[in-house]
Amino acid sequence: MATPVGWRVPRAEPLPGDLLAHDDLRPTPVAGSQTMTTAAAPPSGGLAVTTTGLTKRYGARAVVDAIDLELPRGVISGFVGPNGAGKTTTLRMLLGLIRPSAGTGEVLGHSITDPASYLARVGALIESPAFYPTMSGRRNLEILAVLGRHDRRRVTTLLAQVGLGDRGGDVFKSYSLGMKQRLGIAAALLPDPELLVLDEPTNGLDPAGIREVRALLRELADDGLTVLVSSHLLGEIQTICDHLVVIDAGQLRYQGAIDGLISAQTAEVVAIPEHATDLKRLAAICTEAGHPCRIEDGAVHAPAPPEWAPELNRLAMRQEITLAALSVSRGTLEDAFFAITDTEGHQILAHAPETEVAA
Amino acid sequence: MSELLKLRRRGLLLGGGGLLLGFTALFTILGIENATKGATRGRGFHVTVAELSKPDGLVRGIERASTLMGIVMLGIFAAAFGTEYTTGMLRNLLVREPRRVKFLTGKYLALLVFAVVIVLVACIVSIVLALALAPGKGIDTSAWTSSTGIADTWRAVWHLLVAALGYGTVGAALAIIFRSPVAALAIGVAWILPAEAILSALWSNGQYWLPGQLLSNFASGGSSSVSLARTGLTLVVYWAIIAVGTSMLFSRRDVAT
Repeated sequence: MATPVGWRVPRAEPLPGDLLAHDDLRPTPVAGSQTMTTAAAPPSGGLAVTTTGLTKRYGARAVVDAIDLELPRGVISGFVGPNGAGKTTTLRMLLGLIRPSAGTGEVLGHSITDPASYLARVGALIESPAFYPTMSGRRNLEILAVLGRHDRRRVTTLLAQVGLGDRGGDVFKSYSLGMKQRLGIAAALLPDPELLVLDEPTNGLDPAGIREVRALLRELADDGLTVLVSSHLLGEIQTICDHLVVIDAGQLRYQGAIDGLISAQTAEVVAIPEHATDLKRLAAICTEAGHPCRIEDGAVHAPAPPEWAPELNRLAMRQEITLAALSVSRGTLEDAFFAITDTEGHQILAHAPETEVAA
Repeated sequence: MSELLKLRRRGLLLGGGGLLLGFTALFTILGIENATKGATRGRGFHVTVAELSKPDGLVRGIERASTLMGIVMLGIFAAAFGTEYTTGMLRNLLVREPRRVKFLTGKYLALLVFAVVIVLVACIVSIVLALALAPGKGIDTSAWTSSTGIADTWRAVWHLLVAALGYGTVGAALAIIFRSPVAALAIGVAWILPAEAILSALWSNGQYWLPGQLLSNFASGGSSSVSLARTGLTLVVYWAIIAVGTSMLFSRRDVAT
């Protein structure tokens, strides 16, 4: 298979000529590949998805339990939760595949009770990519294009965009998992959507493929598309998403800016005294200042706001303790995720904090 | 349209279509080759040359193949509807066409077109074979090409076509109910062949109501005990019940696979 070019999104009209010849079609690195420092989701475009009390029960068990979602337009929203949390069930309800037991919802301004009114503007890849196994990737896309009354010429363009240009004629069952995933993404892009719903889009992709998907999603969002990505890969979500929804056991645990969630996690001030003999005295200083700490690997770890670090430095100097190093360890999305999905002893955040902790 | 794209698969054309052609060709050849000058020798494919020389002799072969043709059609429809569930493709399709009754109707109509084409092709093959083989067995074919013979042939083809579509409809309904082509085919065949045979032996009025019996009766142009009109009317009522029931089920049921 040829090395895929960057997954630029073809809009309604096909791109002319050889895609490889276009410099601007190369993958673009995603800005801020570490902790994102971008602002919260811009609310200017309104909301792409809203739900009120959305519930799905199977018998007595509530798989999705009264979820109130608010997904802003034009941003990439991450949808995370443990296995069985209700992510896919929620997505299925938004796509009209299953009927809610209770609650209401709107997608692109239309009620989810009338999916025909909005699904022409929605692209979706739900769970594993499913196609007719004995038919080619191209024929599978053509069937979907004809069924959805989309431009069939987009099939060729999209196959090239996802790196399947020279394998489109092969039968689907001969594809690797990564190739199936690429075909699924191409199918989701068929309608030139306003809202793209992707369930585990990087599943089965190699690192290069993951980077391409990341670049693609960023580019889509930059073009004003709203993207909802469900994933177990928290690092991936942290890298590509602006907005986050966390559900667990069918209940909403958090929705809001990713930065807000991470900032809400207590940072840790880490101090290493010049002399190891000062460790206990340094720990005592932290405790007396109201920040109980632990000593680990020759350092004092004190859960405290980042702005307390200079104060610790001053207190240590007064006690004639010289610090060899002083740093602030910030929480990661993973820390935050486990904090809010662990119901045993952690506070559950239902919404983004009103104020963010200064960096 | 999208369903017709799918139905253009070589595997389906060679598999389903080939099986149908094979059965009709086989029954036609056996019917003519086993034709005897005198009285028939018990059960099986045996008919007399005199019977085959009648105006309706041309279509004896395809009439005898009607049940097997129906089973093949049941399998084709069951596969077309059930595969969407087992592959998970249904969720892709319904995201692109969320109006489920429209989706179902379009798919059904596409399969009807496909079925009509392959049944007609099978009939043509059977007729050509019969015309080619008959002279060698001393069968007089002049009655076949008479106006009565042509009318009988058209009528027989029409009955066979309706019966085949009926079997297909049963296959489609079972696939939607059980969400599996294998289950639909197994249950359909088990019902139409052994179950109905046992039921009709135990229940004297079974020929009036059992769907397999009715379809078989319609394919053979009716019988002295159950008229073609009554058979057709009962089948139309069944078809309407199936259409409404499966449409309601398909449009209301969650697609969770």
